[in-house]
Amino acid sequence: MSDASQDNAGRVPGVIGDRIAGALLLALAVGAWWLSHDLESGFMQPIGPGEYPRLISLPLAALSLLLILKPGFNQRWPGRAALVRQAQTLLVLACYAGLVKPLGFLPASLAAVILLIRLFGAAWKSALISGVVLTLALYVLFEFVLGMPLPNIPGLDW
Amino acid sequence: MEILAFLAQGFAVALEPQNLFLALIGCVIGTLIGALPGLGPVNGVALMIPLSFNFGLPATGALILLVSVYYGCMYGGRISSIVLNIPGDEPAMMTTLDGYPMALQGRGGEALGVSAVASFVGAGVATLGLALFAPLLVQFAIRFGPAEYFALFVLAFATIGGVTGGSLIKSFLAAFLGLLLGSVGIDAVSGVPRYTFGLYELYDGIDFIVALVGLFAISECLIYLEDIRGTSRPTLKLGSAIPGVRSAGRCAPTIARGSLIGFVAGVLPGAGAALGSFLAYMLEKRWVGRDGRFGQGDPRGVAAPEAGNNAAAGGALIPMLSLGIPGSGTTAILLALLLSMNITPGPLLFEQQPEMVWGLVAALVIGNFVLLVLNVPLVSLFAKVLQAPGWFLMPMVVMVAFVGVYSLNNSAFDLYMMLGFGVLGYVLRKLEIPTVPVVLGLLLGGQMEFNLRRAMSISGGEWSILWSSGISVGIYLFAVTLIVAGLVYSWVVRGRLR
Repeated sequence: MSDASQDNAGRVPGVIGDRIAGALLLALAVGAWWLSHDLESGFMQPIGPGEYPRLISLPLAALSLLLILKPGFNQRWPGRAALVRQAQTLLVLACYAGLVKPLGFLPASLAAVILLIRLFGAAWKSALISGVVLTLALYVLFEFVLGMPLPNIPGLDW
Repeated sequence: MEILAFLAQGFAVALEPQNLFLALIGCVIGTLIGALPGLGPVNGVALMIPLSFNFGLPATGALILLVSVYYGCMYGGRISSIVLNIPGDEPAMMTTLDGYPMALQGRGGEALGVSAVASFVGAGVATLGLALFAPLLVQFAIRFGPAEYFALFVLAFATIGGVTGGSLIKSFLAAFLGLLLGSVGIDAVSGVPRYTFGLYELYDGIDFIVALVGLFAISECLIYLEDIRGTSRPTLKLGSAIPGVRSAGRCAPTIARGSLIGFVAGVLPGAGAALGSFLAYMLEKRWVGRDGRFGQGDPRGVAAPEAGNNAAAGGALIPMLSLGIPGSGTTAILLALLLSMNITPGPLLFEQQPEMVWGLVAALVIGNFVLLVLNVPLVSLFAKVLQAPGWFLMPMVVMVAFVGVYSLNNSAFDLYMMLGFGVLGYVLRKLEIPTVPVVLGLLLGGQMEFNLRRAMSISGGEWSILWSSGISVGIYLFAVTLIVAGLVYSWVVRGRLR
């Protein structure tokens, strides 16, 4: 379907991308096959726990080989600036994931949201204002309206 | 007549205050999410699943909420197509072809009105079809054993990639990747942990909700980050949507044809709403022939795909509920929700929990009327949402995803896993490897293996049981036919592109 109505402008030949992906998936399939031999159960089942992963990894390996041999198209890969932005965003999110419990929902989210809004292209001023608004709105929505327990700020249990 | 009695029972369930409220909320949220460019039903439902879990909703309520979101998204998807020329999701793509030209000519309101009525009729036809045909399919499926179920799963995978176009190799790669990921965790039969590498968080397997939110919501944000400058959007004068209702009357034959085509496309497993709207548009264009001004703002060019995609969305619920085979990406996710609530869709669902099935059907009827009201007189409110800047909307999506996933187990591990799946989803999308088969594999893998092993223990290790019954052979043949049809289809489409 996407072939039918999208123009080909955003697409590039995937000779390199598809081959790397194919090689990685092939490695995954081989690894899964290899490890599946350790999976033995004591019962006399017609097929043990290792059989099914082996059944999957065979076609996975075959298809990866096909992809390496016959690479198709990729979407245009992002430029350096976009990659940096994505990496920064992931870093912010990873830190947020680790800090939300020790710091509590409000401070951790406030910092994360402001940085995220910045990364998504807003100026500092609007990032600060909308960050506060968004964090408070989410807090009220989740904590009070939906009644989902969010991590509290340590020492401040209400 | 039996159906009428069931429907009456269904309305009794759907009109319970809580369920009615959930349907209303779902319609509003769905229309909103659908209206946002780039966010479609898959993302919408994926975002809502952890929330509905945390909310502790009973299964019927959760299903009503999510299916209302689903229907709402299908309605809302057309708004950004018409107003901004950006389809909210794949099925809404065809609507841009005539919807945006209409908006440029100052007939945006009319386009929104026509498409709302077309959506209403399409969804109505599909809901009626669901009530009529699902029980028939159930009668047939009640005789299925484990071998036949295994065949059905094969069919689901054979079709999900084949019919929607794109590279067949990549669709199947995605499916097998998902199946392999699905085998992580403790094996239910023997109790042996597989591929857990000693991480106790993985003993329960990869939580598909976490994977789902990552693959769809987080990867969408990463895509958005590629190009953040395109925020200045021309604001078009829309005008009232009411005149559109009148021109919808003139498009009545178009809407009827689009609904039927869409419905059939939706019922076919794996085809889904995108095919429904595509076929409805292409066939309508051919039907009308030279009299039409398709591509330049013909109202019929808006009515046909919208009737088609909404009918397909409803039609896709039929194989999902009666066989447990999803007909589209979003129904795959709805199926996932049911499975994780320990409800196995399929023939037995209709026997054991008729109040749930028929309550859902009734909720869809009610929701469809609500959506018509939301989308004709109130549509300008939703169009306003499009003015909100992306730097506000996308962080909001990320935060909802984070809180939703975090509250499942209060575990940071889930969040890291979600981010990992976000990156995986992003890379897969860049490689043009579809992500829906990955989710399907992750989700259906357990059931598929379970049925395979049950069939094998019935036969005492004889593989031939898998193709020993007429029904399973028929299903395999059907799967092969659909794959061949998919190959021919993509071959024809590609030939036309050149």
